[in-house]
Amino acid sequence: MRILWLSIFLLFSLSSMSYAEDKATPNSAGASKAASGDLWNAVRARQGSDLGTIRSQVKGIDSNSFMNVEGDKWRAFRMEQLIPLAAKVLGFSLLGILLFRLIRGKIKIKSGRTTKRIKRFTTFQRWVHWITAILFVALAISGVVLMFGRFIIIPYIGPEIGGPLTLFMKRIHDISGPAFAVSLIVLTFTFIKGNFPHWRDIIWVVKGGGLLGGHAPAGRYNAGEKGWYWIAVFVGIAVVASGLALDFSSLLQYTPFGETRDSITYAHWIHSIAAVGIMAGAMGHIYMGTIAMEGAFEVMQTGYCDANWAKEHHDIWYDEMAEQGKIIEAEDIGKPSA
Amino acid sequence: MARMKFYCDAERCIECNACVTACKNEHEIPVGVNRRRVVTIKDGEPGERSLSVACMHCSDAPCAAVCPVDCFEITGEGIVLHNKDTCIGCAYCFYACPFGAPQFPTDGAFSSRGKMDKCTFCAGGPEEEDMSSAEYNKYGTNRIAEGKLPICAEMCATKALLGGDANVVSDIYRERVINRGAAAFSQTRLQQKANFQPNPSLEGRATGAQQWKP
Repeated sequence: MRILWLSIFLLFSLSSMSYAEDKATPNSAGASKAASGDLWNAVRARQGSDLGTIRSQVKGIDSNSFMNVEGDKWRAFRMEQLIPLAAKVLGFSLLGILLFRLIRGKIKIKSGRTTKRIKRFTTFQRWVHWITAILFVALAISGVVLMFGRFIIIPYIGPEIGGPLTLFMKRIHDISGPAFAVSLIVLTFTFIKGNFPHWRDIIWVVKGGGLLGGHAPAGRYNAGEKGWYWIAVFVGIAVVASGLALDFSSLLQYTPFGETRDSITYAHWIHSIAAVGIMAGAMGHIYMGTIAMEGAFEVMQTGYCDANWAKEHHDIWYDEMAEQGKIIEAEDIGKPSA
Repeated sequence: MARMKFYCDAERCIECNACVTACKNEHEIPVGVNRRRVVTIKDGEPGERSLSVACMHCSDAPCAAVCPVDCFEITGEGIVLHNKDTCIGCAYCFYACPFGAPQFPTDGAFSSRGKMDKCTFCAGGPEEEDMSSAEYNKYGTNRIAEGKLPICAEMCATKALLGGDANVVSDIYRERVINRGAAAFSQTRLQQKANFQPNPSLEGRATGAQQWKP
């Protein structure tokens, strides 16, 4: 009779248990009252286990826990989700850019170049942009080496060279990170003017930004540029905040999170996901700003844009500038009157 | 070939921390690094138990799986070693390890994390010549190369911490468990009745004695 009851109990308890819960719940089916059973449930930090006051004479991060099951989740996240997914996201972004290049080709200034120029960025804006950009590229390359190096670099050059190389990349990453945090804050305020959403942006998005032909009206910044600005700001803040938590993890003890393994691991989750996202966005931004479009790179290079370029890509801003008489001859640049 | 394992007997560990001290002394470990620690649960309450924890030299080691520079090497005896020349001190192994075994000394100008340090099962490092001074400076003594077992288990006064060939360790522990069970049975009749209620329907049956058919 007892066997019958036990088997019914087992049937119900097993059917309600999924694989994930099976790891986390105490072995209720065994219903072992032995001290050793309780001990091992507690050691494995299973749910419902009574740990009482847990102490260790050795002081350190998480030295009071026997086993941290979160570690296995982090391993699964990094090895089975983050690395393959990041490779796909970055690979498909690159492929998308390549396809766009093949379909659309170089975006030319249709009406040709003029000798007229409009000032688009101040010297300060350009400095802020390039400092942020250089730091970003340094962080992206070193981050990619940290994430994919074991699979794409170390098999070819060996861990003897790959180790110190990755250490060098990690040092770059650790030092550029806080500098990037400062430059991102300055960048946020430097470029905030003109980046707020406007009803015009909806039309721009509906028309696909004129990326595949056609024309979409735009002010000083079009919706794509605005979108990139806000991605850079908000995703950037997530990357920077979590990155600083990882870089200066000893300072976490002064925050409500505490310097525990879990808080550092969670910071890494946020940091890696946000960083892959911002890198995919940056690839599009770098392509559009350099080789995709005639007359785009020189704007951030010199601060001045070609009048026809402005007319074709930022027509409403061009009209404003024309009204204010801000269109000048190229040879007048640098003269006191300009 | 022997598969090396640690086992800590919770019924015997008295939280004397001698394994921790012996380990530090043997390998001259820097301050702040604890290759081994003793953790006590229900401290000061009934059912208090202590266990000594260090690197458990996993077969499917999470540290080795997540390492971005592939600095881990698992020896033929199942000892997980790491190469400090390759290690970059990123602490990914520390995130992944369930036992909190990887430790990091502070290093450099901004007291950033140095290269990882963990229990080597007293087997030194993977790359240096065995028992060389370079190996000693980086990883501590190589007792395995000298034909000795880890110092923590060797000097454990209550023999709670066992280390060595997994088969021998499990034989020792199995014998202990049987003896403890036998001690429980040889109590008074009253205690027997209180502790043990035999199930009459299991009389004369054993696994494998008859084929079970659905």
